[in-house]
Amino acid sequence: MSEPEVGATCSAEDGCITCGDVAVVLTVTSVADADAVCTDEQGRQETVATELVGDVRPGDRLLVHAGVAIERLTAVPTGG
Amino acid sequence: MRFVDEFRDPELAEVLGRQITSLCEPGRHYKIMEVCGGHTHTIYRYGVQDHLPENIELVHGPGCPVCVIPMGRVDDGIAIAERDGVILTCFGDMMRVPGGRGSFLEANARGADIRMVYSPLDALRIARDNPDREVVFYAIGFETTAPSTALTILRAAKEGIENFSVFCSHVTIIPAIKAILDSPDLRLDAFIGPGHVSTVIGCRPYEWIPRDFGMPLVCAGFEPLDLLQSVYMIMKQFSEGRAEVENQYSRVVAYDGNPVALRVLADVFALRPFFEWRGLGSIAHSALQLSPRYAQYDAELRYELPGVRVADPKACQCGEVLKGVLKPWECKVFGTACTPETPIGTCMVSSEGACAAYYNYGQYAKQRLNLEVLR
Repeated sequence: MSEPEVGATCSAEDGCITCGDVAVVLTVTSVADADAVCTDEQGRQETVATELVGDVRPGDRLLVHAGVAIERLTAVPTGG
Repeated sequence: MRFVDEFRDPELAEVLGRQITSLCEPGRHYKIMEVCGGHTHTIYRYGVQDHLPENIELVHGPGCPVCVIPMGRVDDGIAIAERDGVILTCFGDMMRVPGGRGSFLEANARGADIRMVYSPLDALRIARDNPDREVVFYAIGFETTAPSTALTILRAAKEGIENFSVFCSHVTIIPAIKAILDSPDLRLDAFIGPGHVSTVIGCRPYEWIPRDFGMPLVCAGFEPLDLLQSVYMIMKQFSEGRAEVENQYSRVVAYDGNPVALRVLADVFALRPFFEWRGLGSIAHSALQLSPRYAQYDAELRYELPGVRVADPKACQCGEVLKGVLKPWECKVFGTACTPETPIGTCMVSSEGACAAYYNYGQYAKQRLNLEVLR
């Protein structure tokens, strides 16, 4: 599956997760250059830019905000 | 849900609430400000305040990126979008923020092409797909979001995409906290520090707060138990006579933040001498603009803009709410003239705005309280 549809996770009606400073934990499933295809707990996929967290490998867990990984997780993950 | 239920366990919340109560000094009132709008949302959604004793008051701060955008900058965005051939892109909540000439949604109704995006990288993709159009990203957010804008500009430069630019209203959290501490009409005892901003900047930039003001600050996660544990850690500091920066959200936040993200921010952005915050006024060095190296991507240099300061509506008391001086329901127009459907002030727009969060979840909490009284 490709990237989520533009605006698919950002809604003027239900609140915008990016404006809300929400970051989500995703797991890397495959890597292509600086992008990684990641999945969440429900199996939804998203393409994530990884330049800010260094090299990633399938199985790595990333904290993602606005389509960009801002941290790599080593401990127990959670949303928030 | 895996990994999340543990942080929402009501029995653990009861235990933490009792431990917090046992640490309270009799007769003392504690005011703790959560800086981040995400925390405000969690507090109202899960009724976190219900687990705290009456003498611990949670005060809501200015950490909603939509709520602090002044009306004049909304008008600047509309002026860009009304130019021939321009596609303006922004995050979802920004669409409904009222400016002096209405909101982005209303501008769309008049014929502008303003599109919601989830990521600035989506805006860059729109630029790539529409080489005959000018695509502008309306960037808002604190240090959590600024790295994604910076990375997008770096990718645009690398790919040589010329029909893309950024209207930058990114703000920084530390000067806002300083402005609040300098405010004469608010007395605080401690801070709950923003979790995801701290993922980027780390905990070190807050160390002046306990050092200069003698106040504890605990960086917190976004689940209800994260917040209760943070209040417990703050109360523990009070009971032991300490004032320190502590990190409750250590499963995500490194004490020194993300050094790569900080380097990218320093490369792409420069500090503005001043920036106007809605309700807080003009604050020195509190916002980011594109550094001269990336001037070609700066929409403020590319387009002629009104750049006019527009006064907030007289009835709106967002400024006092953003500083934690007023509770949302104490505003004159809360829930009557100002609702999430027809917001007058920005705090009623984003679900992380204190007014919208209280409007959406406050009634529920009140009803639950009434039920408990009846039992």
